[in-house]
Amino acid sequence: MTTQKLIMKKFLNDPENIAAELLEGYTLAYADKVSLMSEKIVVRTHPKSKDKVALVTLGGAGHEPALSGFVGEGMLDASVVGDIFAAPGAPKLLEALKTFNREAGILLVVLNHAGDVMSANMAMELAKREGLNVRMLLTHEDISAGLDTPDEDRRGLAGCVPLFKVAGAAAEAGKSLDEVLEIAERFNKQMATLAVAMTGATHPQNGQAISELPDDEMEIGMGQHGEAGGGRTKILSADETAQRMIEPLISAVDAKAGDKTMLIINGVGATTLMEMNLIFRKAYRVLEAQGIEVISGLVDEILTVQEMAGFQMILCKLDADHVPLLKAPCDTPYWTVR
Amino acid sequence: MASFDCQRLAKMTATALVSLKERADEFSGLDAETGDGDHGTAIVSAMTAVDRVAQQGTELKKVLGDMGFAAMTESCGSTSTLIGAFFLGMSDGVKGESLNAAETASMFSAGLKKVKEQTKASIGDKTMIDALQPAVDAMPANAENGIPAMLQAAAKAAATGAESTKDMVAKFGRARNLGERVIGHLDAGAVSTACMFDAFARGFTAST
Repeated sequence: MTTQKLIMKKFLNDPENIAAELLEGYTLAYADKVSLMSEKIVVRTHPKSKDKVALVTLGGAGHEPALSGFVGEGMLDASVVGDIFAAPGAPKLLEALKTFNREAGILLVVLNHAGDVMSANMAMELAKREGLNVRMLLTHEDISAGLDTPDEDRRGLAGCVPLFKVAGAAAEAGKSLDEVLEIAERFNKQMATLAVAMTGATHPQNGQAISELPDDEMEIGMGQHGEAGGGRTKILSADETAQRMIEPLISAVDAKAGDKTMLIINGVGATTLMEMNLIFRKAYRVLEAQGIEVISGLVDEILTVQEMAGFQMILCKLDADHVPLLKAPCDTPYWTVR
Repeated sequence: MASFDCQRLAKMTATALVSLKERADEFSGLDAETGDGDHGTAIVSAMTAVDRVAQQGTELKKVLGDMGFAAMTESCGSTSTLIGAFFLGMSDGVKGESLNAAETASMFSAGLKKVKEQTKASIGDKTMIDALQPAVDAMPANAENGIPAMLQAAAKAAATGAESTKDMVAKFGRARNLGERVIGHLDAGAVSTACMFDAFARGFTAST
């Protein structure tokens, strides 16, 4: 493995301040929807009423619009941000949990990455001592390590975003913490994500190259060998790539003829919407041929990794109660339903 | 027999901060082979917070707890939580203001226990645990020779542990996704942990 310092072509200031400055810019740009409660805690400008469950998440910066892009009416109440690719510390998360503590309770959504889980567990321990009413949900929908991988070894990827939508709508509808958690957990179990990368990214604070690939290769999954049809291959056509990715996803969520699904193509940074639409088309056709209905589609950048080229394909199998929750109104900077 | 107290602790963290800063680029370079390449910055940022609090400490139990919180408050990522947990745990394992060697060993053991509550990593998983656990485990057997010798034994065990990560496959963090490709690379967290224990041993005996 050779690593080299690349010359980054990014518009930056002091690397130390990237996270703080980007959040400042973001909350100024969308001031009618989001505000900074304190350094690195993004909240709704117009708070949800106190009698409803609050939805909070945490994660590193550098993956914009995730996660703060989905703070707003009908989705997240707060997003606690760390540094670039680094989870915020437990005390910062605790600060947010204290602020949003309420009788209705808080649902804390955590993506399965070592740093995020450590901070969340520590914050949950502290929250318990303080008597806060918080429940935690861990997303782990990545199937790149194989379908039989234990949950704890599966990463949480962009699937958290539709989960925010479903859980947020349930909370907005006034459901109890137990109900919101149950609905979200069921959604969590019925979604799966597979990622493909073509070129790596650079770490904006130190210029380090992250996951490099030869010019003529792509990688489905994350360097595991052949699991979930993945591994490194020469670059395939859009149709072939989509076919190789949607099939394991269908198995993973156990989608059958007559099932309703949501299909998302999430660009991770450098891949164009043009390419992503080609991918969506083929994946849709494969689902259609099996009698699986796509009632909701999304082709967009919802969780990125700097200028990495590639995308995540996310398939969510929907229960009857998930459908109206996905369609319910929401108003966040990067996901709006009217 | 020298004992462990707030003054010694402050010298140990000050020495650790200097040594970690000197080698920060080396740690980031190691991390770049298998991770995000930011471990040098992360460990220096955590230890900066820890040391600042240590310099103002007057009560051992309280200062160790504050040091742990400072690491988690002022730094981000797994490193800050693990280092934070280490000092929080040491705080749990302390009674009194002046510890003998056996009590110091128990304090470090409580620190390790708290770290192990945060991560499922064990020896052989190519993480900081490969240096931390041997260091802490080496202490009780060497306690009868006094704290300086005990800390030197811990530092030696940590260095050996860090070196052993070279031949391991990673089970945690981004390196886990690289499978066999990480063999031949040292784990940055284990190397920085060994560096910290080496500095602790030197800092404890440093003349004021």
